[in-house]
Amino acid sequence: MLSFFFEVRCLSKRIVSIFIIIIINCNLIACDANKKQRHEIEFFMLFDTVTQVVAYTETKEEFDNLSSIIYNSLKEYHELFDIYNNYENLNNLKTINDNAGIAAVKVNREIIDLLNFAKQEYENSDGLCNIALGSVLRIWHEYREYGIEFPESSSLPTMEELKFAAQHTDINNIIIDEKSSTVYLADAQMSLDVGAIAKGFATERVCQLAIKKGVTSALVSVGGNVRAIGSKYRNGEPWNVGIQNPNKEHSKKIIYTTLLDNKSLVTSGDYQRYYIVDGKRYGHVIDPKTLMPAENFKSVTIICEDSAKADSLSTIVYNMPFEEGFRYINDIPDTEAIWVLQDDTIKCSDNFEDYIMK
Amino acid sequence: MKFIKKTDIFIILIVIIISFVGFFIFKIILSNKPAKAEIYYKSELVMVVDLTETREKTFSIPQNNNVVFHVFTDGSICFSESDCPDKICIRTGKLNTIGESAACLPNEIILKIVPYDKENKNDIDLIAS
Repeated sequence: MLSFFFEVRCLSKRIVSIFIIIIINCNLIACDANKKQRHEIEFFMLFDTVTQVVAYTETKEEFDNLSSIIYNSLKEYHELFDIYNNYENLNNLKTINDNAGIAAVKVNREIIDLLNFAKQEYENSDGLCNIALGSVLRIWHEYREYGIEFPESSSLPTMEELKFAAQHTDINNIIIDEKSSTVYLADAQMSLDVGAIAKGFATERVCQLAIKKGVTSALVSVGGNVRAIGSKYRNGEPWNVGIQNPNKEHSKKIIYTTLLDNKSLVTSGDYQRYYIVDGKRYGHVIDPKTLMPAENFKSVTIICEDSAKADSLSTIVYNMPFEEGFRYINDIPDTEAIWVLQDDTIKCSDNFEDYIMK
Repeated sequence: MKFIKKTDIFIILIVIIISFVGFFIFKIILSNKPAKAEIYYKSELVMVVDLTETREKTFSIPQNNNVVFHVFTDGSICFSESDCPDKICIRTGKLNTIGESAACLPNEIILKIVPYDKENKNDIDLIAS
């Protein structure tokens, strides 16, 4: 009888031990798991680039709802800011370009807002960000496309043709009539190219709409124009966004991982859209002063809250020598920048460190 | 006779320690575990490529034979050939870091590097390029 009792006790001990192991393991695993699941989607058809949306949500439906708000709104901006295609019953930037020197075009408020923002950035940057540069950019675009397809016979545009086109790049010839909501290009040979600001502007507007509709946490990237809505989790864990190393073959793919909470991050660089002539690389960001590709840096990345501002600043600072850009950024509150120089030296603005994951 | 003896407490402590040690070893193994690549065609996941195999290979997805991928022995993957005009997909180069992605816009193909298993809060959510 006593031995039977002893055995039962031994057994119960074992059972208790096993239970303890299971319970502890369950607890530890549960601690690590977040109830919310990561969801991610890509869209291809907007702004000639890839749009990524990432969010942690409890259900797939919640994520689908969130991503469709972003998709639908972004699609509207894509059509409005399109300079290549016409859409039925819609006056967009192409309509304005097509009517240069002919007629004023009635457009939506969003286009007027974009153009006003662009004019303001032109003033702020002393002309380094110019959406009226279309005629010059078109020439570079054609040479670049040709050079990528036929690398053996790639060439540079002549200074004569660039200078000739540059006679039609005066931003003051964009005549905006706020009252009647029309835009008129007073120079028949000029054209708008909003590549430097439209994506950032649209991204900001779309995210503001999402916030208004109750989205508290999401990460949106429209071709590298990254906008973090809120933080990643409810407890304030920030989004981790890597800044690409412009040296593609380098084993270190990311120069820094930044921590973003309700911030935007935009990179301008010459490492993706470029072509090669006689062994030299020519990027797609054209300096309005020289009419040639800017070549001060391999890349410039801006962090600030407003995605539109981050986008225009990345182009502006990319077109400035380092010292000038450094002063320019440090004078703007809550705005930081990181430069990768042609010799791979990395420079940061005064408080950039605050955003780096240690 | 007491219900809990000293040896019981000792056993319980050992069990707790073992499960903690096991948990951390598990976490370390997990965090060191290399990534896998996902290939999407028109937003549908069409292929998952294990990047832990150290075998070089070249392949295409069944939906499009004009786009060719290459996996290297170091566990990186890239677009090696494509019939698109801008070749941005090829220029993106080798991918091996979680959060990296490369896309061929004209062909509607995206290549993404994702964690092998569960996400860690320090994983990179996205790489801006």
